[in-house]
Amino acid sequence: MSELKIKGVTIVETFAEAFPMVGTRIIITAPSLEWALISARTMTGFATSVIACGAEAGIERTLTPDETPDGRPGVAVLLFTMDTEKLQRQLRNRVGQCVLTSPGSACFAGLEGEKKLKLGASLRFFGDGWQMSKLIGGRRYWRIPVMDGEFVCEATTGLTKKAVGGGNLLVLGKSHAAVLAACERAVKAISEVPGVITPFPGGIVRSGSKVGSKYKGQIASTNDAYCPTLKAAVNTELPLDVEAVLEIVIDGLTKESIAQAMRCGIHAIAEGGATQGVTHITAGNYGGNLGPHHFHLKEIIA
Amino acid sequence: MSALVFELKGKPDQRLDLSPLTPARLKDLKPKDIEALVVGTTREKLTVGDAFKVKGKDASALRFVGTDGRCDKIGGGLTEGEILVEGDAGAYLGAGMKGGKIEVTGSAGVLAGASMLRGSIAIAGDAGERAGGILVGETLGMKGGLLAIGGNAGAMVGERMRRGLVIVGGDAGDYAGARMIAGTILFKRKVGSYAGYGLRRGSLIFIEEPKDLLPTFGDCGVLEFDYLRLLECSFRESGKAIKLGDRARRLMGDMSVLGKGEMLILA
Repeated sequence: MSELKIKGVTIVETFAEAFPMVGTRIIITAPSLEWALISARTMTGFATSVIACGAEAGIERTLTPDETPDGRPGVAVLLFTMDTEKLQRQLRNRVGQCVLTSPGSACFAGLEGEKKLKLGASLRFFGDGWQMSKLIGGRRYWRIPVMDGEFVCEATTGLTKKAVGGGNLLVLGKSHAAVLAACERAVKAISEVPGVITPFPGGIVRSGSKVGSKYKGQIASTNDAYCPTLKAAVNTELPLDVEAVLEIVIDGLTKESIAQAMRCGIHAIAEGGATQGVTHITAGNYGGNLGPHHFHLKEIIA
Repeated sequence: MSALVFELKGKPDQRLDLSPLTPARLKDLKPKDIEALVVGTTREKLTVGDAFKVKGKDASALRFVGTDGRCDKIGGGLTEGEILVEGDAGAYLGAGMKGGKIEVTGSAGVLAGASMLRGSIAIAGDAGERAGGILVGETLGMKGGLLAIGGNAGAMVGERMRRGLVIVGGDAGDYAGARMIAGTILFKRKVGSYAGYGLRRGSLIFIEEPKDLLPTFGDCGVLEFDYLRLLECSFRESGKAIKLGDRARRLMGDMSVLGKGEMLILA
């Protein structure tokens, strides 16, 4: 392991391996920020990993009334999948089941883009013929009658094929509490970066995986090299005094946003210094052959 | 470059057809050729040079100075560029236009913005009958864009409109929004009788309650509309401060036809 250090925390000379994804952003507004957040959290629930959730999604940031199309408090949500068709299906299902249903909500495009995804253009059929289309300032909106009034939903939103998924940081430390506190700081710092989300619970994963398994049909299994309880039995990556490892996974609309998020994350983790129990910051990769995007930690903090 | 200016020399003794004077048509013409364009409408030949003093060069921005209500078809079929009219405009102002921008400091005659497709027209004064209505030979009225009338609008504003936005700053005449297929008309002040006659779809938004409502509109009561907030925000973004609020009484109609249109009377 290399000896690059920030405040005594070793930055391992390795890289995070990330993958191309397709992504979109939508804006949810509601009578209050609280209700916009409820709607956004519901929509981005069960969206930690494309492996079994179909999509990776999260709240990018909250929006003040002067930042939203209808002048109400709002939330920007990012949604990522591996291809456009899946993204369209996930968007329709999630907005249809979680935003349309949420009291007082409205939903707008959050991304311009050469390609468009249907938003209100497919949800309008819920209106059963009573829906109304309105073209305002060159943008089309659907007004769909619902029991608390109308669900206003923009017809389409943009998509980007330049999104990147799987930017990551692995944090090693001498106590679970120290690693968790460091990761919480990092997630908070990353939440300030535009265009990225951390899709896992609270932004943090404790069950990092490797590809494949000894069992047939199990496509991913525990990352044994980073399991502290297996140090003696496997080809471990962990020094003896490391008690816990947590991972932060980052999806972003561009590779630049991922790099910036990783940089903010690394500095937030190292902020407490080695004296608080964090020993190493490293990153997950598959040897560099699977994903085209390589984020070298050394270059990122340079 | 200074705008190409057409200053009316005196009161012409015939109505003028100014539809040849559009940026797209003039951009490649020499001053001599522009002055030779025929704008008369009678057997007595009248050219641009006869009726106007022509100054300036930039054909992408035209200015008409001292025009009156007999200067018809200003910006007719306009596709690009800007036209500023310092004075009144006659009939068919911007009729059938497909883009660009027209501004009139005075009033306009009948059928302003009739069957227009895109672009914007702003009339500081009044507009005659059938503003945003059906151009002769067309089946639909206004099909898109923005028509803003600062003063009063004559009867049948937005007749058979298909899409777009009309804003009437003053009073509107009878049969406002008649036979509309879709689109939006915002009335800031009084409206004559029979508003929304034959309305199929589309929105008529009234800031003041109209004095009489057709019996073929059904009341939905006073409700909250995020649509109104969205509209107000979009007005603000484009520099128009029009307060709409978020509550309105909704009437659906015209039930004698499709009945999917609405009147929103701000509460």
